[in-house]
Amino acid sequence: MTTSRLSSGGAEIDRSSKISFKWNGKTVNGFEGDTIVSALAGSGHQLVSRSMKYHRKRGLLTADYWDPNCFVQVGDEPNVRAGHRKATNGMDISAQNVWPSLERDMKSANGLVGRFLTPGFYYKTFVRPQFLWPTYQKVLRTFAPGGAVDHQSQPLYFDKRYTHPDVVVAGAGPAGLAAATAAAEAGASVLLVEHDHAVGGHLRWGSDADRDEAARLEAAALAAGVEIMTDATVTGRYDHNWVSINQRSLHASVERLVKARAKVLVVAAGLVERPYVFAGNDALGVMTAGAARRLINLWGVKPGTTAVAMVANEHGDAAVADLEAAGVSVTSVVDGRNGEFVSSTTASKGALSSVTLGDGSTVDADLLITAVGWTAPTSLLNMAGDRPAYDETAARFFPTKLPPEVIPVGGLVGDGSTAQIIEHAAGVGRVAGATGISARRQLQAATTRAAVVDGAEPAIPAMPEPLGRDPHPELYRSDTHGMVDYSEDVSSKDLVAASKEGYDSVELMKRFTTVTMGPSQGKLETVNAVAVLAEARGETIEEVGTTVWRPPYAPISLGALGGRIFEPERVSPIHPWHEANGVTTILAGQWIRPDHYGDAQAEVTNVRNNVGIIDVTPLGKLDLRGPDVPKLLNLLYTNKWSKLAIGSVRYGVMCAEDGVVLDDGVTAHLGEDHYLMTTTSSGAAAIWEWAENWLQTERPHWQVHVTPVTTAYASINIAGPKSRELLSRLTDVDLANEAFGYMRVRTGTIGGVDDCIMWRIGFTGELSYEIHVPSGYALHVWEHLMSEGADLGIGAFGLEAQRIMRLEKGHFIVGQDTDGLTKAPTAGIGGLIKLDKDDFVGKTELSTLDVASLPVLVALQPVDGSVVPEEAAQIVLPDSNDIIGRITSSRFSPTLNRSVCLGQVEPSHAAAGNIVTVLLFSGERIPATVMEHHAHFDPEGARLRG
Amino acid sequence: MADQLAFQSPVRSADVNEGPLTLVDLTATSSQTLVRGAESGLTPSFGHATRRDDGVLAAATRPDEWTLIGPLGDAGTIASSVTSEGFVTVIDQTHSRARFRLAGDTAAQALEKVCSIDLGDHMTPNGAVVSASVAKVTCDVLRDDVNSTRSYLVICDRSFADYLFSALSDAGAEFGLR
Repeated sequence: MTTSRLSSGGAEIDRSSKISFKWNGKTVNGFEGDTIVSALAGSGHQLVSRSMKYHRKRGLLTADYWDPNCFVQVGDEPNVRAGHRKATNGMDISAQNVWPSLERDMKSANGLVGRFLTPGFYYKTFVRPQFLWPTYQKVLRTFAPGGAVDHQSQPLYFDKRYTHPDVVVAGAGPAGLAAATAAAEAGASVLLVEHDHAVGGHLRWGSDADRDEAARLEAAALAAGVEIMTDATVTGRYDHNWVSINQRSLHASVERLVKARAKVLVVAAGLVERPYVFAGNDALGVMTAGAARRLINLWGVKPGTTAVAMVANEHGDAAVADLEAAGVSVTSVVDGRNGEFVSSTTASKGALSSVTLGDGSTVDADLLITAVGWTAPTSLLNMAGDRPAYDETAARFFPTKLPPEVIPVGGLVGDGSTAQIIEHAAGVGRVAGATGISARRQLQAATTRAAVVDGAEPAIPAMPEPLGRDPHPELYRSDTHGMVDYSEDVSSKDLVAASKEGYDSVELMKRFTTVTMGPSQGKLETVNAVAVLAEARGETIEEVGTTVWRPPYAPISLGALGGRIFEPERVSPIHPWHEANGVTTILAGQWIRPDHYGDAQAEVTNVRNNVGIIDVTPLGKLDLRGPDVPKLLNLLYTNKWSKLAIGSVRYGVMCAEDGVVLDDGVTAHLGEDHYLMTTTSSGAAAIWEWAENWLQTERPHWQVHVTPVTTAYASINIAGPKSRELLSRLTDVDLANEAFGYMRVRTGTIGGVDDCIMWRIGFTGELSYEIHVPSGYALHVWEHLMSEGADLGIGAFGLEAQRIMRLEKGHFIVGQDTDGLTKAPTAGIGGLIKLDKDDFVGKTELSTLDVASLPVLVALQPVDGSVVPEEAAQIVLPDSNDIIGRITSSRFSPTLNRSVCLGQVEPSHAAAGNIVTVLLFSGERIPATVMEHHAHFDPEGARLRG
Repeated sequence: MADQLAFQSPVRSADVNEGPLTLVDLTATSSQTLVRGAESGLTPSFGHATRRDDGVLAAATRPDEWTLIGPLGDAGTIASSVTSEGFVTVIDQTHSRARFRLAGDTAAQALEKVCSIDLGDHMTPNGAVVSASVAKVTCDVLRDDVNSTRSYLVICDRSFADYLFSALSDAGAEFGLR
C-alpha cells in the first residue's frame, strides 16, 4: 500500500462527512467530495483496472476526467470515469472485463503472446476463412473491453435544453472565468461551461493563494450575471456556432444535451498534461505531476512514499514541492530542461519498484511523476476550421486561423503569469461580449417579434496584445519504447511497426493502430503519437501534422443524445369513451384510432343489420372560403364543381401533375362562398399544403382562404339501416329521404349541440350519416347516440370493420389500393375525369395517357372463398412466377361469408370473368376471378340511397 | 342548448396552479377566433400580441392573420366585431385548438427544454408571438406576462393537447411543476 490519506488537507473533501462504498465487494471509505479514484487511492487501492488488450495492471495516471486507466462499473452503469465521478455513499463499484478478479485476471495471458498481437493482428488473422467469422466473433467478444450492460435496466431520464447566449465560454479556468466576466460586464449574456466539478482550472490544485484567486474570479463572474454550468462539456462546435454541451450532475436528469446557439464561442480549454513515453510507463505508481498535485491538494491523498520526479517546467517544480510538503520522500528530481530523462522502470507485481534514469543509474521508488509538457486541446478550434501549427520552441500546437466568432484564450494561445493570462482573457472577453451583442442586435433588428433595438451599437474594442510563448523542451519519447495510448494498449513500438508497414500517414496510422481512438479522444496521446511517427519517418512534427479532431470533444452517452422521447400522439375528443369500452387501438400516422372493440366481424354484421357508429375524427377537413373556391376545386379535382349547389356534397379525386392519384374525398357546399372539403386521414396535412401551394404560388390572385379544421369537429359516421331512426331522435333536421337525400349536406343541432354538420354519404355501403360535431361537445353527442340507440342495437365499430365494409362495397383507399404509379383512370374512376374541363392538375398527363398499358384496379374473388390472400400477395401467370399484379386489399366478409379482395392486374388480365393466379406467402397458388364491379356487395347502391 | 353543456377539454391531467411554476389548461374556459385577411383592419402587426380594451388578447400569429382569445362563449361576439368589408374570413377555433398558460419565473427555462426558440427578453419580449415546435408539436407561443410574472400562452391543435400538456408538465417538473 503506497497511497494513503493524509491527516489533513484536501480542499474539496469534507472530512466531517464520511462515505463508504463497495469496491469489488469490499468496503472502501472516503469523504464527501472524493472522486472514486481519490477515495480508492486514499484507501490504498492502487490497482483500478486492466488494460484493454494485454490486461496489464493499471492504476491512476491523471486522476481526472481524461484518465485512461480508470474506467469502472458502477451498479448497472458501465464505463464510468472513476477519475471524475464523485464517490457517493453506497455505490457498488467493480472492475471491468476481468476474470476471475482484478488482481488475478486470467486474460492477462494475452500479454504472453503480446509480441504477436501487433497492430492489424485482428484484421489480418480473422479475415479468412470468412465462414468462420461468426465463431471468431463469439470468442473475440469475450475479450471486448468495457463494462457489462444490464439489459434489464430501466431507461433513465435524459433531456435537452435549447439556449441562445451571446457568448459561450468553454472552460472555466482563470482565462475562461476572466473572459466570461468581461463579456458579461460588457452587457452580453454569457454561458460559462466547465468540464470539471468546480471552476478554477489548475488554480484549484495549486496553492492556497491560487484557490483564493479562483474564488475571487468565480465571485466576479457570478456578480456579472454569468450562468456557470459545471460538470458539463462543450462537446462540439458546428456551423453557425451551434454548440453542443453535455451537462452532468443534474438533480432532475441523468444528463442533458444543451444545444446553444452562441453568437461568439470563447474557447478556454486550457492545456492537458502529456504523459512521457518510456519502458514501463504504465506501471502502478507512474503518474503525471498534475495527478499528484490533484491527489494531494484536492483530496488530501498521499500518492506514494518514495518518489522520482521528472520535471521540465514550473508546474513540475510545484509538484515536487507539493510531494515534499505531503511527506513524500523525493529521492531524485530529473530535470528535463537540462537534458535529463527517465529511461525505464521496473515493477513488482505491476507496481513501480525502481526507476532507471537516462544516465543509467537506478533509483528505488514507488512513485514516479512526470511533468514533460502540454497538449493544447484544440478540438473545438479544429471544428471551427482551424489547422493548428506546431511550435517546436514551445513544444505544442497553437491556433492559426479562426472565424471571428470563435476566439481562443488562455493556455491555448500562450503563456504567462496568472495575472497576465487573466488580463489577456478579460480583453478577449470584452471583444467577445461586444461582438456577441452586435450579432444579437442584428438578429433583433431582423426579427419581427423581437424587442426594438435601442441604444448605440457597441464599439468592438481591439484585441489585446497576444500572450507570449514560453520555451519548453520537446519531451515525447525516451530512449526506450513505452505506452502511447493507454486506452487502446498501443505502444510506441506498435506505431513504429505500423509506419514500417506503410501506414506512415498520421491518419492511416490512427485507423490502423487505433491510437487516439479511445475514450480520451487523443487528449493524452495525439502529440506523443505524432512525435513517435515523426521520429520513425525522420521528419519534424510539423511535417507529419496531426489528425483532425472532430466532434465530440468527449464521448456523449446515447441517452443524452436521445434526450426525452417525444412522440406526439393525437386523439379524438371521444377517445376516453373508446378506452373505457375495451377498444383495441391502432396507430395511424400520429393518431391513436379505434381498430375494434373485440370482434370486428360482429361489428360489421351489426352495422349491416342494425346501426353502428365509428369515430372518424382524423378525416381531414379544410374550411374553404372565398368567391374563387369553385375555381380551386376545379383545379384540384379531376371532376367538375362549378354547379355544386348549396346543400350538396360531391366526391372527387385529386391527381398530381403526373396523373397519379393523390387523394380523394367529398366536399360540401355549405353556404355562399363557403365549402367544407374532406381529405383522407393520412392526407390531411399534405392536401392543405397542396392547396396552399397552388394558391400562393400559381394562383395568388384567387380569393380563397383554406383553413384546416380537422379537429374543430369530431366526425362520427352513423351507418346501418337504422341510422336514420337513430339520428332522428337527436336532431331537428328533417332526415326524410326526399328532404335529405344521398350526397346532401345539412347543418343543425344534434343532441343539443348547435352548429353540427351532417351529410349523407356512405363509405360502408349502408344508409349512413357522417356528422361533424364541435369537438368540445363531441363526447356528449357520442354518448347520447349510444344511449339513444340502445333499443336499435347500436354498437361502436372500429377501423377494421369499416375496412371490411368498404371492401365489400369495393371502395378503394388511396395509398392502400393505389400506389405512386396509379393513374386516375385505372383506379376505376374514369367517369370522374373530365378532360373537357379547362384545366385541372394532371390534365396534361391524363390527356395523352395510354390507359390500355397500365395496371387496372379490379375486384377479385378467390374461387375458394374460405381463402383470404395476404395483402401484397402477388398475382402471377398460371404457369410461371412472372408477376402480373398484386392483391392490394383483402378481408373475409361476414356479410358474404367469403373472402373479398381488390387488386391491381395488368390490363390484358383484367377482363371480368378472367381467372388469375394468386401466389400466397406460403407458396401455394390459388385461382381468383376478376369481378365485373368493384363492389362485391350491393353494387347498385340501393342500401345507401334508401 | 350547447351553452348548458359542459365544454370538454381534451386535457385529462389536472392543472398545476400553485407553486413557483404553474401550468393551467385554458381550453374549456376561453374562446379562440381566427381572422384572416389584410383588410380586417386588426392590429397589432405580425409577431406581436396586445390585450385590447375589451380584454381580448389579439395576436398576429401569421402575416394577415390574427388570433383573438377571449372568454368561452364570446367567439360570436368577437367575430361580429370584425369588419366584414373586403375579403376577410372569420373562423371559430375554440374547438380546434387547445390553450395552456405556463407561468412563473422559471417558465422560460421549462419551455426551453422542449422548444428551440430564443425565449430571451431581447428576442421574445412580453407581447411577442411566435410559431414554434414545442415537444415536436407545432404551436403558437405567445409571451403574455401577467402582473410582471413571465407567462406563455401555448396554443396547439386540440388533438395533441393531452400529450402536450403532459410534455410541458414533464419539462417543468424540475422547476416545481408537480
